[in-house]
Amino acid sequence: MSSAIFAVLGLFSDTHKIVDAANQIRPRKLGRLEAYTPYPVHGLDRAIGLQPSRLGRLVMLMGVIGAGLALLFEGWVSAVDYPLVTGGKALFSWQAFVPVVFEVTVLFATFTAGLAMLFAFNKLPFFGHPVLHSKAIKDITRDKLALSIESTSASFDAEAARQALLDSGAESVEIVPVPSWDRPLSLVGFLRTIAAIVAACVVAGAGLYAAEKLIPVVPPLIHMHDQPKLNAFRESAFSADGRGMRPAVTGAVARGHLPPAFSTPEEAGILLSNPLPLTQAIAERGRRVFNDHCAICHGTVGNGVPLLSRVYGGKPGNFLSKEIGARPDGHYFGVLMLGKNAMPSYAADLDTDDRWAAVHYIRILQRAQNAKDEDLR
Amino acid sequence: MSAASPRSSLVRNLLGATTLIGAAGSAAVYCSVGRERFWVNWLVWTLFLLTLGLGNLFLVALERLVGAHWSVPMRRVPERLASLIPLAVPLLLIAFFGVPVIFPWTYPEAAHNPILVAKAPWLNLPFFAIRLAVCVFAWMLFYAFYVRGSLRQDQDKNPAFTVRARRLAPLFMVVFFFSVTILAFDWISGLEPEWYSDMFGVYLFAGTFISGIAAMVLGVLSLKGRGRLSDVQTKHIYNLGSLGLAFTVFFAYIGFAQYMLIWYANLPEEVIWFKHRIEGAWQPVALLLPLLHFFIPFFLLIGSVGKKHPVPLRLAAISILLGHFVDLYWLIFPTLGPKPLFGWPELAMACLFLGLGSLQIRRAMGRGADMPVGDPLLVKGLEWQL
Repeated sequence: MSSAIFAVLGLFSDTHKIVDAANQIRPRKLGRLEAYTPYPVHGLDRAIGLQPSRLGRLVMLMGVIGAGLALLFEGWVSAVDYPLVTGGKALFSWQAFVPVVFEVTVLFATFTAGLAMLFAFNKLPFFGHPVLHSKAIKDITRDKLALSIESTSASFDAEAARQALLDSGAESVEIVPVPSWDRPLSLVGFLRTIAAIVAACVVAGAGLYAAEKLIPVVPPLIHMHDQPKLNAFRESAFSADGRGMRPAVTGAVARGHLPPAFSTPEEAGILLSNPLPLTQAIAERGRRVFNDHCAICHGTVGNGVPLLSRVYGGKPGNFLSKEIGARPDGHYFGVLMLGKNAMPSYAADLDTDDRWAAVHYIRILQRAQNAKDEDLR
Repeated sequence: MSAASPRSSLVRNLLGATTLIGAAGSAAVYCSVGRERFWVNWLVWTLFLLTLGLGNLFLVALERLVGAHWSVPMRRVPERLASLIPLAVPLLLIAFFGVPVIFPWTYPEAAHNPILVAKAPWLNLPFFAIRLAVCVFAWMLFYAFYVRGSLRQDQDKNPAFTVRARRLAPLFMVVFFFSVTILAFDWISGLEPEWYSDMFGVYLFAGTFISGIAAMVLGVLSLKGRGRLSDVQTKHIYNLGSLGLAFTVFFAYIGFAQYMLIWYANLPEEVIWFKHRIEGAWQPVALLLPLLHFFIPFFLLIGSVGKKHPVPLRLAAISILLGHFVDLYWLIFPTLGPKPLFGWPELAMACLFLGLGSLQIRRAMGRGADMPVGDPLLVKGLEWQL
């Protein structure tokens, strides 16, 4: 004899009869009621005593959490971590966040609904339901409706359950035993499953790759890298002059790059004086500019000894010499703009403030090499 | 229907008195406060009653269009509420006299405004009147067809009417969407004719639809509370509540989409319309609108209890109707100035229109049987399972 009984199944072929039977049997508390039907039956959920699902509350909770997380994330990204003004809008522009907040709310809610339904409430994974081993399963998946009284305790009375089902109009009754699992999950089975998943991924990936390469993309769909666009250094039929890059409008002046009002460094020395106040920040900026652009030839202390190898034959100016040290600030500025001897113009590399900051730093270097007694106090 | 009980005749007399007081107050508004304020109030309340009626006529036709069974036992309620259309149509025709007072495109200065000159082929009085006449004619025609036809079916039990009503529903949908868009463009956004939003017609439609549902909910619950719709069960009301939830979200979606597109593009001629409505003294009203029209009904209706229990349903419906009034107020009143006006003139005109509307609904509620007893689909509707 089979030792353990899973449930007693009664088969019906009429939806009204199964609902009536469930309503008759439920108050007798013979065991947990369950129903197996090939299609949904109205009213059966209440008849077998199912409570309203708690899934809705969970979905609501996760939806609210999703909305809050999305808002926090967007706010943090846009206003704290990488503040970037877009189109003159405020950094924390809730209007722009709403679509993403909405999407993330829906994402959290639907994933919670789907996954919690499967794994929390329906207790998946579930390897083989006992009813699948019953004789009635073919009928249940076709046109019969089954009401089952499940054994929930040792005191389950299968005979009483059988009689109750027959009394309430079941056409036939089957006792479903708990199947004996002679082959539980084995290592080989586990490895086979993993191998099958890997194989499925490889096949799907290769298929997609082949589809991407072999199947032509028909307009209006295009690959993103084939989209019509202007390339700055390529020929283009878009503009009349055939160039991709647009030349600057005649007379346009970039910010911080005012054209010089002098033609020689000497003239600049007479016309200009350093407009920047000497502050810690300006001095730091000057040091950065000097070390990046000047030190390679003029040396890190400005003594005219280049950092380049001796193969380089130039003779850069020595800022510490009496002759160069005596020149006014404007002269230095002018040389930076116009270049001198082998030195090219730095007009395109440095903006006005960078140049004046570098001049400040050169003065600091000169003073540091010829420190006076009061500087040491 | 039983003869008027003392209590109901008392209510009717009270409503009549309110209407009369409102009428006297409105006349005082016209004479002493100003014609602009009178016509703006008139427009808000006419549109309020008209959109409630149109929303319910739409619900009737929608049921016919999709062949729904569940709403058939409750259909007499929207059919009765649609009788606000024959009340609001004369009011809208009277509002035509206010057009030269409150619509800037009719002012003489409009001839010097290049934008309004360019829009003149659409915004001119003769064409405006033609559009008004066509819309009004279409609404009255469909009202007569759907509501009177359904009442006639109570008597003759002719199933052919059910078939005809379904056949005509697609045509109604096309006419309805065009006419509501025209109503929105002509009577609301035309108040600031330099402004333009493609979505505005859909926005008014969304408000019309959801407030139609809210009025239907209140009507069904009120009749059921008096024991007159005892065959309408929780499952029917649950479905109505679900529809209400869905279109609460739809309204919020459309309203926000219109706002966000204009906010993003930041074009001066479009943004100014919102700037007048969400900044300064109008800000509290702008905050009240999403609260009443979306957040309160949404959180009341989201659970399964809220969709079938009369208390949350009624609260949600009242919130939506209040929100619909605030919506129209917020759309139309900013043309009067930078501060929301709400004083005795508004109250007086509210008394007049709410009194007229309540009297009309009270009269309509006694019309015909409480359920469409001649409709062959009624049995299916009563047997329908959730």
